[in-house]
Amino acid sequence: MCGIAGIVYKDRKLHNAGEDMGKMLGALQHRGPDSAGFAIYGGVGLEKNEYNINIQVNQKTGLLDKVKMAINQKTPIKSDQVFPSEEDGTIVYRAKIALDEFRQLPPLLHKIDKVDVDVVVLNGSHSFEMIKDIGHVKDIVEKYHVNEIKGTHAIGHTRFSTESNVDRYHAHPFQTYIIKDVTVVHNGQITNYWKIRDPLERKGHVFETNNDTECLVHYISDKLDQGYILEEALHQSVEDMDGPFSYIIGTPEGIGIAKDRLGLRPGVMAENDKIFAIASEEVSLREVMDTTNVEQISPGEVRVYESTPSF
Amino acid sequence: MNEKVYEIDLSKMTPREANETIIKMAPKYDKIILKNPHAMHYLIAGLVEEVDIEVDGSAGYFIGTMNDKASIKVNGNVGWFGGDNMTGGKLLIEGSAGDGVGQGIYGGEIIVKKDVGARTGEIMKKGTIIIGGNSGFMTGIFMMGGRIVVLGDLGRDVGESIIRGVIYVLGEVESLGKNAKLVDVTDEDKKELKSLLRKHDFNLNNYDKFRKIIPKSKRPFYGK
Repeated sequence: MCGIAGIVYKDRKLHNAGEDMGKMLGALQHRGPDSAGFAIYGGVGLEKNEYNINIQVNQKTGLLDKVKMAINQKTPIKSDQVFPSEEDGTIVYRAKIALDEFRQLPPLLHKIDKVDVDVVVLNGSHSFEMIKDIGHVKDIVEKYHVNEIKGTHAIGHTRFSTESNVDRYHAHPFQTYIIKDVTVVHNGQITNYWKIRDPLERKGHVFETNNDTECLVHYISDKLDQGYILEEALHQSVEDMDGPFSYIIGTPEGIGIAKDRLGLRPGVMAENDKIFAIASEEVSLREVMDTTNVEQISPGEVRVYESTPSF
Repeated sequence: MNEKVYEIDLSKMTPREANETIIKMAPKYDKIILKNPHAMHYLIAGLVEEVDIEVDGSAGYFIGTMNDKASIKVNGNVGWFGGDNMTGGKLLIEGSAGDGVGQGIYGGEIIVKKDVGARTGEIMKKGTIIIGGNSGFMTGIFMMGGRIVVLGDLGRDVGESIIRGVIYVLGEVESLGKNAKLVDVTDEDKKELKSLLRKHDFNLNNYDKFRKIIPKSKRPFYGK
């Protein structure tokens, strides 16, 4: 069991997406106590060639300097920020950098990952802010000042771990670097995981974990890279994936949900003139809107809300 | 004689505290009103008393599970498995419901005014489920008795592996499941439907349009 949620503000203007998503995920806390995370799009305010990189670094002496050196060898750090974590002796280090083009980002992240076994790149993004950590939603919201983050749309997750590690990296959302700024949050299992992963690896896509959620985000990005629109990619995933699942994809244009053909994982949605929202349960939707008219996402169904981004 | 009414504010209660309070108060009052339910899961679980309960908002999963005599009215929507394994009583939902409403019921009546999700009446044995809107994928899967009445459309694989019981439908049927067949209603069926639906304030004038899904065989043989 996990909780997933997504929200789009239809006017495409900046709203209190962090605060809203914090409330939506807080209402789904019972579905997953292990970790939680957010991908909040649209309010980052980076220049066209800029990226934020989030890196988990052990607090041992000199390690953060090594990380900074690895980044500076490629491109100067323009600004940075540190989020301390008393519990596990690590910090989350956020660096803002500039690159000539997006395809330079994955090798840089790989290089940073190789600095030390105690250095873990959590993500690198241009148009969204990634916040994820172990623990409860309210603590993560407080630690990372999530309520202050503005956005045009967002997705989020509360995790009940069933297979892979409970740590910051394995918290959702997961991101891919096949194309820019695609994220996923997932409730369920992909039971034909290797059947999906093998052809993607043969095409050269790099898997960092054995987690089926990572497989999902690579799969969708690969389809988008081939020219599918999000709705088509999600429909194709319902055909290709086995197992119980419902998952939400975030892109710079919007969000979309897909649910397995037997409908073994929950999903509801509601919308009004201002908001399109999806969640595992109505209890989450009611945090941001009137829920008189809640729609069930049917088995095998796909719902998407996208528009052209202004960032 | 004045009706004895007790009001419970659920806003600061856990489901366990809510249910303990409901079970404690049910024998003493005619009616209980649950304020601020906030789509709470497992509300009114295992209640065997005869009492009216009004839920002032939406409820989450398993509302009224194992209800026996209570008459429950929800002034909102409910999540998955509403009325699960009820043995009697009534569950009236003014809004919509998620998957598995009426799962495994042995008796009683469940009425949902709007649409419901998948697998309505899954493995139900007896009792009645009325859906005012549409009902999704595999309605009546493994149904072993009782009746489902759907005033809207039915999704894919209706009556999958149905053994006994009947599913009445007024709208379209997307497809039938294994061992299910779609036939016309009889005059006796129409009379029964009219009586049932009028009792629950559904005033229709097109009973001739109903059809019903019933088992092809009571002892279906699957495979070669």
